[in-house]
Amino acid sequence: MRIPCPYCGERDAHEFATLGDATLTRPDPAAADADAQFHDYVYLRDNPAGAHEEWWYHANGCRQWLRVARDTRTHAISGAVAARATEQASGEPA
Amino acid sequence: MADHSSHDPLAGIPFDRVPPSGRYGAAGEPGVTVSTTDTPFIALVVARNGFAASVAARLGRAFGVEVADRAGAAISAASTVVGTGPGRFLVLSTIEPDLEGTLRALLGAEAAVSEQSDASVAFNLTGEKVPDLLAKGALIDLDPRVFLPGHAATTVIAHIGVTLWRVHESGWRLLVARSFEASFTRFLVASGAEFGLALENGTAGRG
Repeated sequence: MRIPCPYCGERDAHEFATLGDATLTRPDPAAADADAQFHDYVYLRDNPAGAHEEWWYHANGCRQWLRVARDTRTHAISGAVAARATEQASGEPA
Repeated sequence: MADHSSHDPLAGIPFDRVPPSGRYGAAGEPGVTVSTTDTPFIALVVARNGFAASVAARLGRAFGVEVADRAGAAISAASTVVGTGPGRFLVLSTIEPDLEGTLRALLGAEAAVSEQSDASVAFNLTGEKVPDLLAKGALIDLDPRVFLPGHAATTVIAHIGVTLWRVHESGWRLLVARSFEASFTRFLVASGAEFGLALENGTAGRG
């Protein structure tokens, strides 16, 4: 499996560490139902069959976090963008 | 059991010691020459958010080379600037003892600068067979038709993290964490023996 790192180019998956689901948003800890929301966020993970977005860390390369689009059934990777780019696009401070 | 020790270029060399200077493997003109006698001054520059392009331009002007924010090596007679990640540059110099101070003065608040001279050993590899040797441990394509002079990569070779770049047609440079010098040199000797390998070690440490 190879991951197309935006900085380094296509690299073997051995150079990376995976974190998992990139589609979740951390709940607001100040919300009234924060306990229930955090239980859902931490433990009740989906296991989608098909297209998925995941965080991968390029530990043995540029040392950047990537958001990788991977099909969980075929391992086909359709793209990867730097996590910092997605953060900037959403208007969060870089 | 047959005794294969005569085929082992590393026979008798303690595994935790850097193999001594000398010739290893096939006789005749060496296919690969490995040298660690150059001990450049090294510093790491990490641009603060939004300053990567400005830092690249300043480094380029100061060292008289074309520096861009990408995985490449910009090489002049006395210095080299290598991109290792977005906004991250390793600077090597043979003539700037206070490289860190020079870079701080140059970049001010635009970047964080840290001294790295003793962190890595710089291996100079020359010879026709260098790509064949490195291919035995590399995960990336180092074919000389693909990996051209000025190309750089931070990756693993023989399970050891390296930053490497191609200096010229038959010259390659690799930075390896100093504590891996013995292991990495053993990989080079074992993998280069079939081509004939000449090893020249530097003096130990900068002190």
